[in-house]
Amino acid sequence: MSSRGIPGPVPHSPGRTPPTRRELLRYGAVGAVVAPALAACGSTADPDAFAGKKDYADPRRGGRLRVGIAGGSAKDSIDAHLATDNTDIARVYNLYDRLTDFSLDYKVVNSLAESLEPNAKADVWTVTLRKGLTFHGGAPVTAEDVVFSLARITDPDDPKTGAAAMPLLDRDKLKAVDDRTAEIRFSEPMVHLPEVLAEYYNGIVPKGYDPKKPIGTGPFRFKEFEPGVRSLFVRNGDHWRDGEPFVDELEIINFPDDTARVNALLGGQVDAISQLPHSQVKVVHAYDHLDVLESESGMWLPFTMRVDRAPFDDERVRQAFRLIVDRQQMVDQALSGYGTVANDIYGRYDPAYADDLPQREQDIAKAKELLADAGHGDGLEVELVTAEINAGVVEAAEVFAEQAKEAGVTVKLNRVNDFFAEGQYLEYTFSQDFWAARNYLSQAAQCAFENSPFNETHWADEEWTEIVTKASATVDDKERNKLLRQAQEIEYERGGYIIWGNPTVVDAFSKKVKGFKPFVGGHPLTAYGFRQVWFEDE
Amino acid sequence: MSAAPVKSESAATGPAEPAAKPRRAGLFRTAWGFGRTKVGVVLTAAIVLIALFGPYISPHTDTALVAEPYVTSADGSPFGTDYLGRDVFSRFLYGGQILLLLAASAALFGTLAGTVLGIVAGYRRGWLDELIMRTNDILLAFPQLIAALLIMSIIGPQAWLIVVIIGVTHMPRVARVIREATLRIVEQDFVKSAEAIGVPRWKIMVREILPNVTSPLLVELGLRLTYSIGIVAVLGFLGMGLQPPDADWGLMINENRLAITVQPWAVALPVAAVAVLTIGANLITDGLSRASIGIDRGVEK
Amino acid sequence: MIRLIINRLFFGLVTLFAVSLIVFLATQALPGDAASAILGRDATPERLTALREQLNLGDPVAVQYGKWLLAALTLDFGTSFASGYPVAEYLAPRLSNSLWLMAFAAIIGTPLALALGSFSAMRRDRGVDHATSMVTLVLASLPEFVVGIVLILIFSTGWLSLFPPIFAGGSGAVWQYPGQLVLPVLTLVIAVSPPIIRMMRASMIEVLESEYVQQARLKGLPEKTVIRRHAAPNAIGPVAQVIALQLAWLAGGVVAIEYLFRFPGIGLALMDAIDARDIPLIQAVVLLIAGVYIVVNLLADIVGLAANPKVRVSAK
Repeated sequence: MSSRGIPGPVPHSPGRTPPTRRELLRYGAVGAVVAPALAACGSTADPDAFAGKKDYADPRRGGRLRVGIAGGSAKDSIDAHLATDNTDIARVYNLYDRLTDFSLDYKVVNSLAESLEPNAKADVWTVTLRKGLTFHGGAPVTAEDVVFSLARITDPDDPKTGAAAMPLLDRDKLKAVDDRTAEIRFSEPMVHLPEVLAEYYNGIVPKGYDPKKPIGTGPFRFKEFEPGVRSLFVRNGDHWRDGEPFVDELEIINFPDDTARVNALLGGQVDAISQLPHSQVKVVHAYDHLDVLESESGMWLPFTMRVDRAPFDDERVRQAFRLIVDRQQMVDQALSGYGTVANDIYGRYDPAYADDLPQREQDIAKAKELLADAGHGDGLEVELVTAEINAGVVEAAEVFAEQAKEAGVTVKLNRVNDFFAEGQYLEYTFSQDFWAARNYLSQAAQCAFENSPFNETHWADEEWTEIVTKASATVDDKERNKLLRQAQEIEYERGGYIIWGNPTVVDAFSKKVKGFKPFVGGHPLTAYGFRQVWFEDE
Repeated sequence: MSAAPVKSESAATGPAEPAAKPRRAGLFRTAWGFGRTKVGVVLTAAIVLIALFGPYISPHTDTALVAEPYVTSADGSPFGTDYLGRDVFSRFLYGGQILLLLAASAALFGTLAGTVLGIVAGYRRGWLDELIMRTNDILLAFPQLIAALLIMSIIGPQAWLIVVIIGVTHMPRVARVIREATLRIVEQDFVKSAEAIGVPRWKIMVREILPNVTSPLLVELGLRLTYSIGIVAVLGFLGMGLQPPDADWGLMINENRLAITVQPWAVALPVAAVAVLTIGANLITDGLSRASIGIDRGVEK
Repeated sequence: MIRLIINRLFFGLVTLFAVSLIVFLATQALPGDAASAILGRDATPERLTALREQLNLGDPVAVQYGKWLLAALTLDFGTSFASGYPVAEYLAPRLSNSLWLMAFAAIIGTPLALALGSFSAMRRDRGVDHATSMVTLVLASLPEFVVGIVLILIFSTGWLSLFPPIFAGGSGAVWQYPGQLVLPVLTLVIAVSPPIIRMMRASMIEVLESEYVQQARLKGLPEKTVIRRHAAPNAIGPVAQVIALQLAWLAGGVVAIEYLFRFPGIGLALMDAIDARDIPLIQAVVLLIAGVYIVVNLLADIVGLAANPKVRVSAK
């Protein structure tokens, strides 16, 4: 797959590369509900918070870092605002910066912005840029560039990925107040703007940006790019983060196939790879010169039960199925132990996350009782539609089928390879899916409202909808979190998801590479943070 | 598998020697006389026994989760676990039944269908012969594996489909051999006399011709069985065979091949089973072939 | 003789045509609307329309087939759904990789098999001969991926760590990584050799017993010269057909081997295409493999005709 001159390796190969294009679609639909969260964004944020504290003595400069990234195809793009596949994301993270960023623990921190302040109503935001910022090539970064970037993203004739999350942006009133200050206006309150601006597809580009000559402020400058194959960037010596990056060159190589990616690392053709399949961690551990980076994440791989269709239209059946799952065993077997158990609710890193709800455990007796009450005392047979849409999904299905036997439930696996085909996806009675980390309201907008684009459980609970709609309009953090807590309790009691765990993202790299740190957001290799890594020695 | 075209070609010219009178018992007895046939029977029997009775002596069920994934040994798990933490030995004991069943069905189906076509073509001759043999040639233009992959990629992996595809791809190869054998028998007096007294054609085919082609038929059956095992296994290996969580040797190899460095047993056991089985079946076929035509099967003279 | 060959050639063409029809019908038989089945989650009305157009889905089946076949004749197999590249452009480097692999196997395997077969024949009924006969019989029965895995277990991950278990390649052409090529090539050599060895042995025995070899010996020529000058050249004739047939087998047999070693050839491309339901790619690879298979089989036929003295004589 890596030979030069072979165009676009096929994505979704036998390996288990997550189809991130779909994740993107979901990001794109964020705007369905305005989710006020994390309004405050202190102006004193440490620019290095994202990188974590520097616990190294003296990182060495120099060398070419070669990274194998899962995914990629001939559709690869290097446009700051159109990143879709993993390889695109890896590239834009390194060519461009955003006004804000997510820290390693999924908090929003300032990046190019020195401050980002809302007015009282939170419908006008004022951004002040850091001093002395320059683009690749030396041009200063001005408020005009911020205005241009936001206008480009939300261009109604050619909306970019980030547009859907800012539907209420008043484009005509975007204004550069002075060189370093810009005003961003919305037609209604937009309290979670800092979160939106931190997304990887909202990078700041110079006025007149041409994606063919991709210029940004990022730690690396563009040199070469071959869609579907590789790219080569060089160190940006004028980068605003002191001393970074450390390596002279960054080569990003596409590896949609798991085996090829792992073998490229074993064979020394790359220095680091993203997304090591969980069962292969052992393989890498067998080599002395390699190491792995384990990042706990807010990802989740739920079973989805359609609440409007038999047998799951009966709350007791849903509850019984949740009690069938031995969550620790699920993590141990399906994820080879690389993950943490979850409790049937999502939004792990949301401040409102109800982590004090009693952890649901396997209870076969209770499950049998519930099933008998629901009229399935003589056993129940269900079809579970599964597919290799993400590492661990088919494995989880196999483990569930085994666990269900104990409760007298026969699970027939139906593994399909066109899982997302029109007319099939969102129709399955009992199936599975995968989701990246997201805060509660953003996530609910994706999958839990009756009109959400990915309401796979066909959830349409009136009480829940009322509470969450109210929470969406509540600016006060405490008040809103109280409502969100109620919403989570409802889902915990009668929702259509079985959320059994959060997989850990595992990457692998050569031990001579130093500086990788775990990031909980789900993006591998410290959110592709190659600016902070260095080679130990020659 | 590796020599498929060659073997079918040479087997086709094989029975050119004098077509002996049908003596089936004699064929088996003669075949048994060769040492390699005995070895073949022992090897095949061992694997068939494992496949048939394995599930009854297995320490765990084929889907039970017994330990953490990819350990090389654990309590009650002498050969360790697979990628999900299931017992490799138990899955090995469970994994032969379906493979044998599919391979045997495909071989039987293909040989029977091929025999019917071969006899009809060889006896009726004329346009029917031409039609059957030209169609055969077209079917022969697909390597068996490619044909199976093409169809299964469209319809999806199904057990019955595996049997049908492999059977159909065997069919033309068997038909060629049986047609050759039929052609020689048709010339003989007993067929002519049966025709003379007005015996219906289908009766001639069933009563006069069929018993006289049993030797090449049995050799073909053995040969097709060997190839069927190989193709069923390779389909499983390519992920186009049985679907998880079923235990199947080909699938086991596919599921665990990535970790061959840390847990070789999960691949080695099913590979050994497939190897022994195909070798055994081929040795028996070789013995049958020598017995039936008095020469070493294939190209040896 | 010439007429026979022309006859075969013509029939080869007809077969190729029939095969293209089968491939087309098989892939067109996708359940439901092929376009939406292919695009899946990425389906937007615009993309569906574009794809339906590319697949000529609006036309009657016969017209669809005609358009597809005409394009295929000019090596235009459409655009790969998964990569967005023209299929021909996508497959070209992979085809050349596969050809390299097969060429190595053929170049190493054939002389080796011929030598082993002759050697076995010269020591007829001795231990070496019996051993060769047994080993080739055993190897001939093994599915090729089993051979590959056993080799990996022996030379890579089990006893010895001599060669990498998988072809990871690099930025250069495949032949620049000989160490990584060893196991895939060896697997293919083992898969194709046994019938050649057996045929060579049989043919050599026959020739060694022939009158002119006896005469050559009587003339007092050294045994080496007898074998090299007189026996070997005459024995190879009948083997040629077997060699050609084994090469034809390589076209299909390479799939499982490439999959096993992750070798970036057309076999692996086929497996990837199947996984991604990349119909144009599946069509092209299957046609390509069937085409190679037909052509090489045809060559084998012709070689067989040429090597058969009866036909040769009657053609004169």
